[in-house]
Amino acid sequence: MKMILAMVRKELIDAARDKRSVMAGLYYAIGTPLIMCGLFMVLIGQLSSPEDLNINIKNANNAPDLVRYLSNNGINHADDEQANKITLTISDDYAANMAIAKQAEVLLVADNSDEKIQKSIRRLEIQLQAYSAEMGSLRLIARGINPRITQPIKINVEDKATADSKGGMILGLAIFTMMYSVFISGMNLAIDTSAGERERNSLALLLSHPMSTRQLVLGKIIAVTCFALLGLILILLVSKVAYPFVPWQQIGFTVNISHDFMGLMLLIGIPVALMAATLQLYVSFMAKTFKEAQSYLTMVLFVPLALSMAASYNIAPDVLQWLPVSGQQQALMDFIKGREIPMMQLIVSSVATLIIAVALAAGLEKSLKSEKVVFGL
Amino acid sequence: MITVANLTKKIGDVQALDDLSFSAENGHITGLLGPNGAGKTTCLRTLFGLLKPDSGTATVDDIDVAIDPIGAKKQLGLFPDPFGLYERLTPREYISFFAELSGMSRKQAKEATANVIAQLKLEDISDRRCKGFSQGQRMKTALAQAIVHQPSNIILDEPTRGLDVMSTRLLRDILLQLKAQGHCVLFSSHVMQEVAALCDRVIVMANGKVVAIGSPDELCQQTGKDSLEDAFIELIGTDEGIAA
Repeated sequence: MKMILAMVRKELIDAARDKRSVMAGLYYAIGTPLIMCGLFMVLIGQLSSPEDLNINIKNANNAPDLVRYLSNNGINHADDEQANKITLTISDDYAANMAIAKQAEVLLVADNSDEKIQKSIRRLEIQLQAYSAEMGSLRLIARGINPRITQPIKINVEDKATADSKGGMILGLAIFTMMYSVFISGMNLAIDTSAGERERNSLALLLSHPMSTRQLVLGKIIAVTCFALLGLILILLVSKVAYPFVPWQQIGFTVNISHDFMGLMLLIGIPVALMAATLQLYVSFMAKTFKEAQSYLTMVLFVPLALSMAASYNIAPDVLQWLPVSGQQQALMDFIKGREIPMMQLIVSSVATLIIAVALAAGLEKSLKSEKVVFGL
Repeated sequence: MITVANLTKKIGDVQALDDLSFSAENGHITGLLGPNGAGKTTCLRTLFGLLKPDSGTATVDDIDVAIDPIGAKKQLGLFPDPFGLYERLTPREYISFFAELSGMSRKQAKEATANVIAQLKLEDISDRRCKGFSQGQRMKTALAQAIVHQPSNIILDEPTRGLDVMSTRLLRDILLQLKAQGHCVLFSSHVMQEVAALCDRVIVMANGKVVAIGSPDELCQQTGKDSLEDAFIELIGTDEGIAA
């Protein structure tokens, strides 16, 4: 135990002085929540209020009522390049025809193959039809007829999307970035303390000392796990400060980085960090140089990335609930949505995570006893 | 006291050790002399249990390395080649870390580190990070690491390589001090002067085998040559891979 402590102390001192290791962790932990907040602000802006649509309305004077109606629905006249892509020309005899209940003509000119404005064209059409229908109804009423007879079918639409489900992707993304910090923060240290140790020729020296391979492996795992958790704590703190600045209320729910959530995330993060540390150490001990380890790890880290992403996008959710990383992620998403945590799934995925960590640690211990791995024979 | 008996080890297709037997006594400096590729480093790694011999035994202070590697390693100090320094640690941290790994408590390790720093006159660099150290400073740090826990046996792998005269002299003095204190000192080298100047016994190795054992004088007499270098060439039968 004493030796493991000495190992951990040395690794942490060494890592803290290694700008590359520290920066990798810090950049991610501090940068990501800020970038996420920026992203969410833009995203929410788009989701919640449709932007005002500017079009070019010609002969607006002929139909002041129509123009007012459109304006109330966020469609306004403007005369810039963007607005000129859709022009609405009101015919000269519009007012006259309208007055005598004849069909008054408007001309909508736009390029329907331009994907960017297709949505805007449809919006304008819908509003024009709505106005047309309203005018028609008014005329029927003026003639003593119930306008409903022209609407044989009444369509009732019930939107089942809740605020939660709408925000599911956003939440998934936010929690995913936190979960992934565990993998990113310790990565450089893991490489430095394994492939780097070999590159510096200090691995054989370490193994020449009267300590068991298990102590060596445990010391390194603990050190990398500490770094990974440090990254997680940091990203939680930065998120706690940054996320309240996002106008969540506009989409009807809040991402509240409460103390409970932070505690739960840390607790759930411990087995994940252990697995991340052993996985990274295992892979980079197989590599002979820092660079080799880096390229291996980039490939390997795609797996937890894929799992985590799959969980946030609801791909095959049933299986994912039971798997490492994605299981914990779904539990955290449920917690932040205020639902009950799926305890069974969380326990199974956490235990699976720990089993993987232990298996990898055992594999690591075995491989460090092999002459082939230590000396690259 | 280090004894190896009938060690054989094949690495790939190469017979690295071939029925190798010798011993290194306490209070003696024993040199393992051989051309490049003779199996010196393989032999030293076997002593630390880092390589497992195909057959034969290695014992340190009568502890079989294969049976109790940790017990055996407690009796050993290693001066490795290359040094394996941690560039971001200071010599004080580095030495103290390895002292703890050798089984000392943190307090003992700190005291022992302070002592060895004084002994090797490392004070001026002891709290600077190892990055940018000269070869001599690196050597001293590595040597301090090897002797900080006062092991009864000290093993040095090519210790004089790349050192200037001053550093070589310092190393020589330290080795003689260790000998006087009754330690068993075993070092591998292919530098004749070093071996001739320091060693009480020389084990000449070639192709994983012991070719001759004796003091430098005995080896000269045995071969009828005036210098150890000539004797060495006579013994291994070729002048391949020898540094003057």
